[in-house]
Amino acid sequence: MATKAAVSVSVAASVTAASSSSSKFVINTPHRFLCLKRLSSFSSFSASALAIKCTSISNCSPNKSARSMEGFTTRTKASAQPLENADELIASVETFIFDCDGVIWKGDKLIDGVPETLDMLRSKGKRLVFVTNNSTKSRKQYGKKFETLGLNVNEEEIFASSFAAAAYLKSINFPKDKKVYVIGEDGILKELELAGFQYLGGPEDGGKKIELKPGFLMEHDKDVGAVVVGFDRYFNYYKVQYGTLCIRENPGCLFIATNRDAVTHLTDAQEWAGGGSMVGAICGSTQREPLVVGKPSTFMMDYLANKFGILKSQICMVGDRLDTDILFGQNGGCKTLLVLSGVTNLSMLQSPSNSIQPDFYTNKISDFLSIKTATV
Amino acid sequence: MEQVSMEATNPNPSSMSGVADASAAELLCCANARALLDSVDAFLFDCDGVIWKGDKLIDGVPQTLDMLRSKGKKLVFVTNNSTKSRIQYANKFQSLGLSVNQYEIFSSSFAAAMYLKVNQFPPHKKVYVIGGEGIVQELQLAGFTALGGPEDAEKRAQWKSNCLFEHDKYVGAVVVGLDPDINYYKLQYATLCIRENPGCLFIATNRDSVGHMTDLQEWPGAGCMVAAVCGSTEQEPIVVGKPSTFMMDFLLQKFNVSTSRMCIVGDRLDTDILFGQNAGCKTLLVLSGVTTQSTLDDPSNSIKPDYYTNKVSDILSLLGE
Repeated sequence: MATKAAVSVSVAASVTAASSSSSKFVINTPHRFLCLKRLSSFSSFSASALAIKCTSISNCSPNKSARSMEGFTTRTKASAQPLENADELIASVETFIFDCDGVIWKGDKLIDGVPETLDMLRSKGKRLVFVTNNSTKSRKQYGKKFETLGLNVNEEEIFASSFAAAAYLKSINFPKDKKVYVIGEDGILKELELAGFQYLGGPEDGGKKIELKPGFLMEHDKDVGAVVVGFDRYFNYYKVQYGTLCIRENPGCLFIATNRDAVTHLTDAQEWAGGGSMVGAICGSTQREPLVVGKPSTFMMDYLANKFGILKSQICMVGDRLDTDILFGQNGGCKTLLVLSGVTNLSMLQSPSNSIQPDFYTNKISDFLSIKTATV
Repeated sequence: MEQVSMEATNPNPSSMSGVADASAAELLCCANARALLDSVDAFLFDCDGVIWKGDKLIDGVPQTLDMLRSKGKKLVFVTNNSTKSRIQYANKFQSLGLSVNQYEIFSSSFAAAMYLKVNQFPPHKKVYVIGGEGIVQELQLAGFTALGGPEDAEKRAQWKSNCLFEHDKYVGAVVVGLDPDINYYKLQYATLCIRENPGCLFIATNRDSVGHMTDLQEWPGAGCMVAAVCGSTEQEPIVVGKPSTFMMDFLLQKFNVSTSRMCIVGDRLDTDILFGQNAGCKTLLVLSGVTTQSTLDDPSNSIKPDYYTNKVSDILSLLGE
């Protein structure tokens, strides 16, 4: 624990000191996932160091940040090309990984041409996978959403960050006699339950109140061995304190974030404060950085590459967000296609302050069907 | 005017953002306590963990403050806790039997209002508050319109399509401080203001990670709420409380004392002691609050106060008074 504390302190200090640092790199660990670090100087973790901390990911949208924007890619990328030869791209890969919000749907509305595009890709023998940072639903619940929208997708093809958190705990053999405290919604609880883990917290703790008065002591379960933090509309001080006590006082307690998206499109009309906010809160009270399992961490990429036996160079990642989807694809060594049907527009992509360049960009995924007539 | 030091993320005991004093801290003893008293004209006390813990006075504090006053020392109280206004703090001091008036108190709630005042925040603009009554009161006293605060504690967001979460386009600043009533509604409101209202300021009263809100344990501090808003806006705030030296300008106006003749007495390395070092004051760490001897001595800690002791009343007992 002392090592982890020292590491997290040095990570935090480096993030503090290196806000305009340009040295960034990806580390390949013996474990099944890659993790990004924003350290300017860093040697190595021991092979058994599971709590590799991923630091905050800055959004590359211009006009939005008072501090310098940074990309995380290690490559000097040429500018993204407009997608002109869809058939060539399709032929060059075996699997398409799709983000959901802003790519397949917006809120509860399907984006035009999606069903036909997915059918076409399947008819060409392509494997389709859906990877979303949205942790509010379980894979099963997402399966139902796809079904309601008339899409033929089964839950084995869906990888939500809620699932990723449970899968991560499974991959490190998190002891079944330990518990998980959840600052997040139902999707996380369901996935933990499916994986056989005991959990506390979740939406139910959203109704718990604190009274800060003399003699009041908040107790916490000493058997909590991990705190999982994600998007949480029932966020409150009780949960922050509970999570904070577990992380600070239970020896070896893990701090896991499903994702750190700053904003999310809960409804199609506007942006909403995202998981990055809740995770930020716990970073603020614990002064620790979390282990991030969602995009752009490649945990889910490694997991599904392993599960399906696919080569990452045979994958094309399709998403609407540069600092999660595209970075995820690049970190994984995949081809990347940005669609402009979600949060990113052309001027954001082409802004001088943006350093994340996908291989290709296009308006929306149905351009695969109609690329000759698509204009960007 | 350049009043404020822009604060980076995570003020942290191992941060090097202040003047890092590499020499070891001296344990306060008779000899150096006397020397300290002779070399200092004003004592600046932190409150939580120094004067009180939650609502309980720490032993020996009243007698120590009386002794210092009797020796002609000026006393001032500088607290990062934004939940009360200066007037409310004066009432708290009174209720604990300490005679301290509002002009001797510099709370981060007051600092936030003063920051807007000295930077000529336009009167037609509004301020959205994630925090307590203290911030709202100080803003109102300074003539500003405050939205949010405790009033928004029970508000809930709706997410149906065709239902837009509205926010006031005239909000020109969001002030974030300690808020035990933090909820998603407030985070979303603040996020929209900062992201969508052109030029909207993001001000943090302070970034303390935890504090002794009650006597028995530590609780998440303003650092938690501030980091939540950083997380959704990807912006760094202007920090007006310790260790930023913004408040020092007001303190200097109050006394005709140079900072080298001031001593900060605090329980937290990355706010109190760093504040003192940044301003060129002497620094005395007390172990009656959030910092333990082992945190002070830990090799990863680079913030060394000039002196350290168990609690404030040691000054009294060491002088044999």
